[in-house]
Amino acid sequence: MDREKKLREKARELLESKEVDLVIGYGWTRYGKRVAPVFITRPEDVDRLIWNPMCVNNLTLYITRKYPDVKAMGRPAVVVKGCDAKTVNVLIQEGQLKREDVVLLGIPCEGVVYRQELYDGEVTKENVSPKCVVCDVKNPPLYDHLIGEKVEEGSGFEGARNIYQEIEELDKKPEGERWAFWMEHFERCIRCYACRQICPLCYCERCIAEKNMPQWIDTSAHGRGNVAWNLKRAMDLAGRCVFCGECERACPVNIPLNLINQKLSMVVEESFNHRPGYESEGHPPLIVYSLEDREDFIR
Amino acid sequence: MARIGVFVCQCGNNIASTVDTQKVAEEMKKIPGVVYTQDYKFMCSAVGQELLKKVVKEHRLDGIVVAACSPHMHEKTFRKACEAAGLNPYRCEIANIREQCSWVHHDKTKKTGTLKSTDLTRMTIERLKKNKPLKTINIPLKKKALVIGGGIAGIQAALDIAESGYEVILVEKEPSIGGHMAQLSETFPTMDCSQCILTPKMVELSMHEKVRLLTYSEVEKVEGYIGNFRVQIRKKAKSVIEDLCTGCGECIEKCPFKADSEFEVMKGHKRKVIYVPFPQAVPNIPVIDREHCPKFLKDKCGICAKVCGPKAIDYSQQDEIITEEVGAIVVATGYDLMPVESFGEYGYGRIKDVVSGLYFERLASASGPTGGEIRRPSDGKVPETVVFIQCVGSRDPKRGVPYCSKICCMYSAKHTMLYKHKVHHGQAYVFYMDIRSGGKRYDEFVRRAIEEEGAVYLRGRVSSVYERDGKVIVEGADTLSGTQVEIEADMVVLATAIVPRKGAKELAQRLGISYDTYGFYNESHPKLRPVETNTAGIFLAGTCQGPMDIPDSVAQGSAAASKVISLFSREDLVREPILAEVDERVCNACWDCYYACPYSAIEQHPLKGRDGSIVRWVARVNEGACQGCGVCVAACRSKAIDLKGYTDEQVYAAINALV
Repeated sequence: MDREKKLREKARELLESKEVDLVIGYGWTRYGKRVAPVFITRPEDVDRLIWNPMCVNNLTLYITRKYPDVKAMGRPAVVVKGCDAKTVNVLIQEGQLKREDVVLLGIPCEGVVYRQELYDGEVTKENVSPKCVVCDVKNPPLYDHLIGEKVEEGSGFEGARNIYQEIEELDKKPEGERWAFWMEHFERCIRCYACRQICPLCYCERCIAEKNMPQWIDTSAHGRGNVAWNLKRAMDLAGRCVFCGECERACPVNIPLNLINQKLSMVVEESFNHRPGYESEGHPPLIVYSLEDREDFIR
Repeated sequence: MARIGVFVCQCGNNIASTVDTQKVAEEMKKIPGVVYTQDYKFMCSAVGQELLKKVVKEHRLDGIVVAACSPHMHEKTFRKACEAAGLNPYRCEIANIREQCSWVHHDKTKKTGTLKSTDLTRMTIERLKKNKPLKTINIPLKKKALVIGGGIAGIQAALDIAESGYEVILVEKEPSIGGHMAQLSETFPTMDCSQCILTPKMVELSMHEKVRLLTYSEVEKVEGYIGNFRVQIRKKAKSVIEDLCTGCGECIEKCPFKADSEFEVMKGHKRKVIYVPFPQAVPNIPVIDREHCPKFLKDKCGICAKVCGPKAIDYSQQDEIITEEVGAIVVATGYDLMPVESFGEYGYGRIKDVVSGLYFERLASASGPTGGEIRRPSDGKVPETVVFIQCVGSRDPKRGVPYCSKICCMYSAKHTMLYKHKVHHGQAYVFYMDIRSGGKRYDEFVRRAIEEEGAVYLRGRVSSVYERDGKVIVEGADTLSGTQVEIEADMVVLATAIVPRKGAKELAQRLGISYDTYGFYNESHPKLRPVETNTAGIFLAGTCQGPMDIPDSVAQGSAAASKVISLFSREDLVREPILAEVDERVCNACWDCYYACPYSAIEQHPLKGRDGSIVRWVARVNEGACQGCGVCVAACRSKAIDLKGYTDEQVYAAINALV
């Protein structure tokens, strides 16, 4: 495949010239059926890099403070789709990353699958990831090297489930029903924290869930602690989440985390006219005080 | 195990009438760690404090809870008593069982009140167990003051501060100091000439060696905290070099272009494009109004530069940004008058001979556009009948403002007198709602206007004002006689409401002080802290705080100055240790706290390794700047910040005591 070939060429060039010490990309797992992150340090290994619609992971996760061992490997190049590149912008805004510390291999993307096991050689409206249905960043907004030609923006998955429509429909329900909807989902939570582990913006040195003096969030997988955890996680991402969809993909009990994240994103956009990930200047709006804030929530 | 003592105050009957204090004290005895409890009639009395000190020593207590009134009242009292008894003052906590309990419960069986007091006191005991001893901190102090606004309040404040030997910077937006008082004719109740009593003060200020006067300037940015403010001031380009200008006025004389005069209030009165606002202006240095000067609009003219002897005109002058460090700020930004064009029934803006009170001041002023003769604006005729309408916009919650503008009753009475003194055969009518003349010799003054100077006072509102045959007809009600009245007047004067200065809210936000719904600045306490704001080191003077007359403004200017002087009389500042603290081990350096802090008290601090290289960055709290508001604590996602004295652990312990 053309993109794959160009990707490998660029990776080899970067590694050989010692511009980077490490290329983080996608590769086949041992049995050759599933895709997983690969960390290439030698030019002769670049052929392990691949590109196909199963390359769902947001690889910017590995350049956050959560992975000091990856940081110790040296200067990285990371393969990013449009949605992943937005994460980099937020990380820069929050002082977690300097733009010059990473080389971004931007890869134009025409949609990936929701879960790898659903893939059957083609991305269809049945197996497409919900983020791709509403995608406006098929071409990464931020990159150092673009792999292959740009593609045309726009979705092309008519009839697929649309997250914003789902939120609208949920919003129409009475308060009690909405609460019951979320309770039902949160009750299933087993507190494995997979959502936290896979999120590149959940990078705290010490998560509040692990703070025990005092223990604000009950650790047992029980209604009370589950609600506290899920709400705290969602609130912390409000105005920051770039909709890479990784949390919902990682959740072993299918809590519709995209729904709650995007609902909060919509509220923030409406209130502050801010969509995270499109620029690296400034700071997420829920923190910053501005004279232009509408303040209409104070009644 | 802790050794805690609990005192439950009866506050006479204030608490005891709805709370069984003895029972509360007994209940507290059951809590582990509590070794002494007692209820007492007045804990804040000298006897009560002695009791507290005695018990602390006798029972070797390591913590005290006083269940009494709000900590705003006596926290300091009890903490001092603890300190005197050898206990760290921050090991003393107050449970508020008066304002938050006994005063809001009316159950005379004392059941609910006692139950709630028990809960509140128990929460405070658990909170106290997690208290750490804290120490006050000392921070340096910059002994220089900034006064914003050069009206009478600001002038008085600046003079008082300068007189006690401290440096003062006075920033005034307009080209001259003086404010509204410079526009007035005579002042009530003594009828002395406003300018005659004001201008000596203006001159004194400008000559004072401790005062730096920055006119035509505005405060752009304020950073820092009490004792250590950093202020950015924009000195607008006057287009005149101040050091060279002699104030001869040749440029003004020869300038061929005119624009509306701000000082003379009403449209149609012109000043030159290069101008001083009024003849006694201080400093007596003209400025060029760049919005109207053809030199700046079309690069034509340039006469002023040609006629200027000392070559002081500089068209290329730029705005200058001045940065100053000051220890205290006095805000004295003054007021505006409410625009009353929207009050259609009074005809302001539509009928030429309907004018504002401030315009009448200019008419009556010897230095005014008519040289002190009362002449109406439409045809310059001397008005034979003048109607004064009070409460235009004031005390009108529906269309104007609900508050009383305070000065209008007095100045309207003064206006009738001024009018009568100048037009002997004229007749003045006043429509009023109530006459508010509280003040030394104020009521006598109004009586004089009515009884000796023959002003006719009609109690009632005006329903419409319209023109007929060159007369202004005023229709209104006289509610005392129960009749409708129609007056054929030659001129109508409206006592329009006082409103906050335009841009007051923006300045408040820049300063970090609070304001009310109208935009008047909030004092820290309406009775006991009338010139302080809730931001330490920033004080208020004059009408920026609410409607007020000249004596009040002057008194406030002096009061604010005395606050500044007493602040500057100390060697350095002693601060409460209720401050934020970062746990650097778990700080993510995401800078949420840095951006959230309203006092710029968070610093980005590099942690260095042995070789001197930066290992990582962390947030650190500047103890001088931190006000202990807790915004950073709420902003921190990983809860790496805590507020000393109000730590998460303390709050959690208190909540846990309840559930």
